[in-house]
Amino acid sequence: MAEVASGRLGTRLGRILLLLPYAIKHPGVSIGELSERFGVTTRDLLEDFRLVYLCGLPGYGPGDLIDVTLEEDAVYVSMADYFGSPLRLTAAEALALYSGGAAVAALPGMEEADALRRALAKLGGALGASGTDGDDSGIEVKLAHGPAEHMEILQRALGEGKRVSLEYFSASRGALTSRVADPWGLVATLGRWYLIAFDHLSEDERMFRIDRIKSAALLDERANVPDDFDPERYKAAFVEREKQARLILEISPEASGWFRESYPALGARGLADGWTRVEMASGGEAWAATLVLRLGKDVRSVRPETVMTAARTLGAAMVSAHTS
Amino acid sequence: MPMGTRHGYSRDMRRIERLINLIAALLDTTRALTAEQIRSRIAGYDQESFEAFRRAFERDKEALRAMGIPLELSKSDPFVDQEDAYSIPKARYYLPQLDFDPDEVAALKIAAEILLGAGEHASAALLKLSIDSPSAPTPAPRIVWGANLAAEQPLLGRMYAALIERHPVTFRYHTAAGESSLRTVRPYRLLHRNGHWYVVGFDPDRSAIRAFRVSRIDAVIDVGTDDYEIPEDFDAGAHLGEAWAIGDEPHTATVRFDQTMRWWAEQNMPDCVVREAPDGALELELPVGNEDALISWAIGFGSAVEIIKPETARARLVEHIRPLLEAAP
Repeated sequence: MAEVASGRLGTRLGRILLLLPYAIKHPGVSIGELSERFGVTTRDLLEDFRLVYLCGLPGYGPGDLIDVTLEEDAVYVSMADYFGSPLRLTAAEALALYSGGAAVAALPGMEEADALRRALAKLGGALGASGTDGDDSGIEVKLAHGPAEHMEILQRALGEGKRVSLEYFSASRGALTSRVADPWGLVATLGRWYLIAFDHLSEDERMFRIDRIKSAALLDERANVPDDFDPERYKAAFVEREKQARLILEISPEASGWFRESYPALGARGLADGWTRVEMASGGEAWAATLVLRLGKDVRSVRPETVMTAARTLGAAMVSAHTS
Repeated sequence: MPMGTRHGYSRDMRRIERLINLIAALLDTTRALTAEQIRSRIAGYDQESFEAFRRAFERDKEALRAMGIPLELSKSDPFVDQEDAYSIPKARYYLPQLDFDPDEVAALKIAAEILLGAGEHASAALLKLSIDSPSAPTPAPRIVWGANLAAEQPLLGRMYAALIERHPVTFRYHTAAGESSLRTVRPYRLLHRNGHWYVVGFDPDRSAIRAFRVSRIDAVIDVGTDDYEIPEDFDAGAHLGEAWAIGDEPHTATVRFDQTMRWWAEQNMPDCVVREAPDGALELELPVGNEDALISWAIGFGSAVEIIKPETARARLVEHIRPLLEAAP
């Protein structure tokens, strides 16, 4: 039933309800500007206006229909004062823009943070429908970003196209590492910020958790940044690589629910006794060992065997530390 | 301008035309219109039978609601029993004048562009909000970044709509263990934390504040019509901290970060640090409501972190790991 709002029809209707107030407020606006602003082709725009030209108020005589005039490239819309302002934001629109804004405004080193906070306060104040108080949007966004100075250095490096040196706690190695990296961009996902960079230590692209950077320094060397860097690729905090090591586990029925919620699986198969056999990309042996220890009695048949050995070694050390 | 004939005009286009006429008439009218008046006056409702009209009108009403267009029912005259007439209240349709400064619009643009996943919603919002600003040249690309806030989940929008309207929501909810039940909440806040959205609010069945993970809501069963108020000093963060902090009887745990990882605690949890041990290790005190979550968190640091207190958590960690050490290789 909601096909109008979500489908092609709704997109067009929504656009028209926005196009009209814009054209009314800016008489003589060019088709070219409208096309760029609304991200539609000239052809679609002309079709929109042709459609609007046939609409209006009951009576539908010359004095009732919306008047659309096209002179050369300039558009004039009149006789449609009731479409003089856009529709309020939907809850989904308000939430998306507000949360994106809140994420950016909380970022240390953001030049625009002040303007953004002012904008969000105005937006928050307008969101309430009934009896909302002040600028309270009701939305809070928390993204871990570690110490402010690291974020500032990384933003500078990205802005100037410079290389950085990092001291980084690598979960896959289970150790603090020193590395040189070419920063590509910043991506927030799973509730925290990551630096996407080419890592000279592993000679591959890596997602660095910013809260695990112990220290960061700007180097006076140019970073190589690919032209086609696309943050979308890192959305899930997990980038599939060729030759990525695999981890195979069997998970108990009790733990399979949260495990599925927490870790992306490459494949999963139910077993006769209710356990689930999961195949996933391994984040490295040390990482896999802590995953096995977290699962405790809810995991069995871990492959490769080296992961199980590493888990037992680490587990024995932890048990001994907590029994003495 | 070149006007096409109505030949070859698709059904979709005719439907959009009808919807525009309906919105125009209901926005412009000073008196609400009954279904019969809508049928006889508004262009596009030329269905042959009343039944066919009714079906078309029902679909159109649903389409308006789905787009967020407020449709209000009232009585066509004071002497009828039922609310039988429709209008679109101007005050609820029109976006209020927000008077953004140019630098504020530019900042909102950054916010809209950063979103991975819900970008279309954010761009639509931005287009509405910047209606008074002439198109500015796109700023030169600077830092490339993106934020996946999982803001595109449809149920999140429904929860937020309920929060804005201050209406209680009843929904089917499942826990991590897979148990499903019907729950009700008066939404006070939506919180994005640890990569998940939570609706935090008052649960009238439990008479307490509860946090629900939105991705675990299977379906919204009902949105009430009664209103509620959000306490002025409500602090959602107090009800939703780290996983180990959530629980019924929070108590204090002491954990020790050894020399190799103490920097992590100093950088990320400075408020919890209580003392430095002679060997250079750092001790932290944490409010813990869920010892299992504390253990899982501590294991993530390997042998760099030791739980010092309480004794029950130490014993539980040992109990949790030991079966793995004993199992046959």
